[in-house]
Amino acid sequence: MGTKRSWEGQAVVNMTSNGSAGPTISIFENFRDGLDEHHDRRERIIKASRDITALSKKIIFALQRVRTTNQPIPPKIAQENDTRLEQIQKLFASVTPDLTSINAWRYQRQISGGIQEYIEAISFDHYLRTETLITHAEVAARLPGILVTEEDYLMGLFDLTGEMMRFAVTALSSGNTTPTDAAKAGILLDLRAVRARCEALSVPGRHRSFMYKDLFKKTEVMQNSVEKVERAAYGILVRGSERPSGWTPDLSGPMEVETR
Amino acid sequence: MIDQRIFEDLQTKIDEETTVRDLHEIVQTLARKVKPVLDDAAVEIIAQKQEVLRLKAVADQHPFYKYNGLWTRELQNLVASIELCAWLGGLQEYKGPSSASFMTIEDVGKFLEIPVNLKEQDAFHLTIEEYLLALIALVEELVSIVLSDRPRSPVKITDDVEQSRLAVNSVTLGDYERPLQIGNFIKDLFAGFQLLNLKNDILRKRSDGIKYNVKKVEDVVYDLSLRGLIPKSETAA
Repeated sequence: MGTKRSWEGQAVVNMTSNGSAGPTISIFENFRDGLDEHHDRRERIIKASRDITALSKKIIFALQRVRTTNQPIPPKIAQENDTRLEQIQKLFASVTPDLTSINAWRYQRQISGGIQEYIEAISFDHYLRTETLITHAEVAARLPGILVTEEDYLMGLFDLTGEMMRFAVTALSSGNTTPTDAAKAGILLDLRAVRARCEALSVPGRHRSFMYKDLFKKTEVMQNSVEKVERAAYGILVRGSERPSGWTPDLSGPMEVETR
Repeated sequence: MIDQRIFEDLQTKIDEETTVRDLHEIVQTLARKVKPVLDDAAVEIIAQKQEVLRLKAVADQHPFYKYNGLWTRELQNLVASIELCAWLGGLQEYKGPSSASFMTIEDVGKFLEIPVNLKEQDAFHLTIEEYLLALIALVEELVSIVLSDRPRSPVKITDDVEQSRLAVNSVTLGDYERPLQIGNFIKDLFAGFQLLNLKNDILRKRSDGIKYNVKKVEDVVYDLSLRGLIPKSETAA
């Protein structure tokens, strides 16, 4: 048994100066192994998440070169992106064992960045091909063994609106889409619908500190994106004929900041 | 989608933290008090155990790490109180076979009737990090006991009259072996913490404080031994 003490706190058996270092040391050696395991796992996940983010960004850049919606992605761009998606799948697969059972939520914050960027990429691809939103279930089905939270899905959609904005403005200014078309049936209509739906979501105030933390900021960014497209459409419709060909609306406004 | 009950129970838990804080005060005065106080503390702590089990019942229905952050502080405080009570001589019947001078994580788990350090199963438990942070809190608590036990300004005591006052104080305020005993214990834990490869996280920041606490206690022990207030057998080390 351990060191006995009287109620006044004196050691009954002589307290250690070196003798009882034994048990403490071996107890802490166990803790060290446990903590090392945790830190290694955490770092593997962070690394994969970063790589997934970088690849997803490249997919998004490539997709911004597409000029049409509701049609297959041009073969060259599709091919490039397929390679990247394959790499992403491998990265996710590499950390799936680290994210099973209890660890799915333990390291959720570490993988979340990668997942959100991935959702932004595949939802953009999905939108360009079909003019519809990818569902949470469709995203989850593409990532077997990975926890895809509703929060990550929603945050990915917010980022998608930024991409849609950029795409719309490019399309409008290149003359491929007329402002009236965009507003009646096209991308601007969809953007407005997403905006309305997102604005209708509410998270009770007392939960805001630990869930959907970015909701407010991202909503603001999204609202700005929608308004930019609206302004661009207006500008082209009203003054477009006065502009030299090749003119594009000024996008250098202050509100392009992404929150992650 | 969100089970409201978990938050209601968490609110209760937060309210209870106040109780745990009060408990700290009780436990703090223990140093120079007697067994009945320790028993009172043990009764309080055992009452807290019921609350932990209530939390466990609700938390077990959800992914552990999704909500862990909501109760981790309160659980750490409770474990620190348990450790302090045990260190001062209470709760001895819950100490396991380990020869460590504190309750091991397994002892604490057995006492609270909750699992500890689960690696696979997604259920409520006490994590290694929470336990280690509680040990750090124990160190801080013990050091404050040493410092409050110390005569007001030992450095200024120079003549024989003052010396004898000190001797009187040692009877009324506490014994001078305790700082030495606490010092040894803290050094032992400090050696343990030095074995850990800590990243730049909360555990690192908090455990960095231990070495200052070791020094604080050593200063007291030095003051006392300089004045021959510690029995020779104890200073031999």
